[in-house]
Amino acid sequence: MEVVNAVEDLHRRTLSNMPRGLDRLIYLASTRDYNTGTYHHDGLASRFSEEVACEALADCHGEAFGELISSDLRDLVQQLDEYRDSTHSSPGEFIALWRSLEPYRVAIPVGTDPLAAELLFSNIKIALAILEARRGIRPAAG
Amino acid sequence: MIELIFFLLVGALLLFSLLFFAPHKPQGRKDTKPLAEVQQALDVLQLGLLSPELVGRIFSKSDFDYVVSETNKKVQRLFLEERRRLALSWVGEVRRQIVSLRHFHLGSARFYAGLRFLTEMKLAWDFAAVLFACRALRAAVYLRGPYAAPRLVGSTTAAAARVCGISEKYLDFLRPARMISFGDDSAGGSVE
Repeated sequence: MEVVNAVEDLHRRTLSNMPRGLDRLIYLASTRDYNTGTYHHDGLASRFSEEVACEALADCHGEAFGELISSDLRDLVQQLDEYRDSTHSSPGEFIALWRSLEPYRVAIPVGTDPLAAELLFSNIKIALAILEARRGIRPAAG
Repeated sequence: MIELIFFLLVGALLLFSLLFFAPHKPQGRKDTKPLAEVQQALDVLQLGLLSPELVGRIFSKSDFDYVVSETNKKVQRLFLEERRRLALSWVGEVRRQIVSLRHFHLGSARFYAGLRFLTEMKLAWDFAAVLFACRALRAAVYLRGPYAAPRLVGSTTAAAARVCGISEKYLDFLRPARMISFGDDSAGGSVE
């Protein structure tokens, strides 16, 4: 029950400010310790507990991933374009970096079905190609 | 005296045969590894591979229509290559998990669940049907792309779901609560 309250709290205070699933996925992945796989959020932990906060963040992370997997390609392209816009980076630079570093690969929840993860990676790869083609740009070398 | 030695030798031979042919695990302590594996296969299929969201996205033609309407030939080719790769991975993984379930049924299920003959025959037929559908779908996707056989995708998914349903129905003791009670049952009592 505490986890449910923590999830609700997280949605109300933080995630509601992120209208795009992609933003939520990246944000929630950033709260995870890459060495231990545990999630940390000081505000949430102070209101509940470290364990409850960790579980709530993991739940929301899985939820955000599920939303993205269910999104159609048109929606994902739009989300990616808007996310790129919010980072204030140039389209060419953004596309080149996302292609070479593939930062989205570390943004998926632990224990995700490998094929579902592959579907998201593949869709992002295609979305990047669509953004590139749409803008008629050549990504910077990288 | 000779008779005594003869009977002792026969007795020793019988004892040796008994020790040699006897199963290494006592009947009362069934190995739970196959149970865990079949549970995992069921979870992978039911919660992942056969979920409408995943199947719908991989084989959805609406994404292809969007790509055709919005982009150039190069991106369209990339999209079709990616979807074909994913579709082949999906079929391969469904097949792998179904083979794992069948392996369990052939090797271990009779020790755990009292399947009736007719149910076993139906299950065997369903296994054969889903594996055939996987092969046919794989060939269709390989030769003609991910949108070659939408009906076959539906029938493969339905047949695989049927196999999962039957397996789950007859192996419902694989649920965690049952596993604990089963594990604690050192006397090896009946699971049903």
